[in-house]
Amino acid sequence: MTRGTAKNSNARVAASKGVAFSKSPVLAVRLPDWRSRLVLFVLFASFAALAVRAVWLQGVSNQFLQKQGKSRYERTLELPATRGRILDRNGAVLATSLPVRAIWGIPEDVLQAPPEKLRELARLLEMPEADLRKKLDSDRTFVYLKRQVEMPIVDQILKLKIDGIDTRKEYKRFYPQGEVVTHLVGFTNVEDKGQDGMELQHQKTLMGVAGSRRVIKDRLGHIAEDLGMFREPHQGRDLTLSVDSKLQYIAFTSIKNAVEKFNAKAGAAVVLDVQTGEVLALANYPTYNPNDRSKLTGEQLRNRVITDTFEPGSTIKPLTVALGLETGRVTPDTVFDNNPGYMMVTGRRIRDFHNYGVQTVSGIIQKSSNLGVVKIAQMIPQQEMWELYTKVGYGQAPRFGFPGAAAGRVRPYKTWKPVEYANMAFGHGLSVSLLQMARSYMIFARNGDIIPLSFVKVDEDPVGQQVISAKTAAQVRTMLESVVGPGGTASRAQVAGYRIGGKTGTAEKIVNGRYSRTNNIGYFAGIGPMSKPRFVIAVMVDDPTGPLRTGGFVAAPTAADLFSNALRAANVPPDSSITDIIIPEVPLEESM
Amino acid sequence: MSVKLNVLLVTLLVGCALSVVNARYQARHLLIELERLQQHARQLDIDWDQLQLDQSRLAKNERIEQISRTDLDMAPLSPARTQYLTEGGQ
Repeated sequence: MTRGTAKNSNARVAASKGVAFSKSPVLAVRLPDWRSRLVLFVLFASFAALAVRAVWLQGVSNQFLQKQGKSRYERTLELPATRGRILDRNGAVLATSLPVRAIWGIPEDVLQAPPEKLRELARLLEMPEADLRKKLDSDRTFVYLKRQVEMPIVDQILKLKIDGIDTRKEYKRFYPQGEVVTHLVGFTNVEDKGQDGMELQHQKTLMGVAGSRRVIKDRLGHIAEDLGMFREPHQGRDLTLSVDSKLQYIAFTSIKNAVEKFNAKAGAAVVLDVQTGEVLALANYPTYNPNDRSKLTGEQLRNRVITDTFEPGSTIKPLTVALGLETGRVTPDTVFDNNPGYMMVTGRRIRDFHNYGVQTVSGIIQKSSNLGVVKIAQMIPQQEMWELYTKVGYGQAPRFGFPGAAAGRVRPYKTWKPVEYANMAFGHGLSVSLLQMARSYMIFARNGDIIPLSFVKVDEDPVGQQVISAKTAAQVRTMLESVVGPGGTASRAQVAGYRIGGKTGTAEKIVNGRYSRTNNIGYFAGIGPMSKPRFVIAVMVDDPTGPLRTGGFVAAPTAADLFSNALRAANVPPDSSITDIIIPEVPLEESM
Repeated sequence: MSVKLNVLLVTLLVGCALSVVNARYQARHLLIELERLQQHARQLDIDWDQLQLDQSRLAKNERIEQISRTDLDMAPLSPARTQYLTEGGQ
């Protein structure tokens, strides 16, 4: 710069001497060439860098920006799967899910609403205002006020336009038949997940799989383009049960009336279809309403038909006799002398209720003689008896497809002592469920074969497994019919217009580890109509009170009631012309 | 000759471009319509379920029995006063 200053001072001197400005030597100074080249190079380099960056973003590393872009216009829509319905065999709805709303609120905002609006809100939510305020008195920013609120009420709540109140979509399960069929259908929890019965057993197929789809939404929230399924949704499949609502109601009323009439603790009944093995009705009392979530606990949830086991008592006698007949050891007319009404088996006394004297095999079943069946059983090796029990499903893990189904208990035959074997012949020392008992009677109702049971509607008749011959089955059927006749232990099971066969049973309950004299269970297992069996019905009345508590008094009339209504409801033509029933004044009591 | 061809091609090109715009527009509208109808179908499904539920509730055997007994004064039939008609008049 020192040079420049010197030149400037020269120029000023020159100008003052009249030299033209443009001719000023200062202007003649030329910049070095490299400077312009540098600028040019920098400019080109910058453009090149931009170009490379552009190529990089467009072509090579483009995922990040594409993702960012997508997240600004693409939306993932959840496609919820609706839980499948449960239908009865005729298509009547037993359980269905409908959309409802959960009402939630932001406490801070909601509390600023005018008091009368809050009062109205509390009324619509069916809770005291104090409770509502208590729920809102919270530091949290999100509080559920009530879940599973039905749509008409939701609309009213939204009309109140309270700040901070919002809804969330959810589903609620409705059970229109309520307490009548609930032990079979079961129930779901608040998350719509199966907890009991068929709801639990078929949870996977009923539930379905939620899906999602990707779409492009425009500014107004309309879907502008469908980008296809992200995950395919699968709606829950409907489940058609084997149960018949009408028969179910008949069974339920019969058992309810019986429990009330005999002042019993509980009762249960099951109706099976002889042809298909379908469970047409399964009733329990006491029961509960699955629509009311607050009461889904306790004893009433028990499904006594399937999950409870008990000693079958006299209802097992036809099996013992059937095996005797089948192996040719006895015929229906073989005579046994049961005098003097009791007998000793390895030092233990086995007795009958009365001394029935000399009896045929048919008479043994009709009068339910303990001595008779013990004498028949003593002719049969233990292993053969055990095999029969196993074939009809006693003591076997049940394949009913029902959660919590009990297997019952039959000990291995090698451990049976003679007196225990004698007791088993009349149903003591082993346990079965009512459903297992009903199923074992299928061999008499059918022609000696046994079929699997089903809670789901069956389309084609199952193939049976032969247990006894058709001839034996027919012989036992004749005996079972005589039990229901005027001279049998189940004379109270007579049904006007239909021929019924069956067997009563009474088991003493075990109280404090001992057989109770006062607490017992009465059963009846029967087949009807005898001309062409349609139903197998088993009835149980638990802990009846009163002077007459045996199966013949409590279960037989209940079964008769059930048979007569069920057969009529199923349009089965009557096979008996008897319309007046003769029940002896003092029916025969069975041995325990 | 080649000028005429160019004009023709340009016209075709513009025409195609405009028809693409139109098709996209139509597609978008149809999609919105489809969505609306699908929503409607879902709502109808829900209504159908609701109606079936109502039917099942109203046809509950307990309710029918109650009404026939109390409101209509009906009694269950008994075999004693039932006449069965069989084919052939037996």
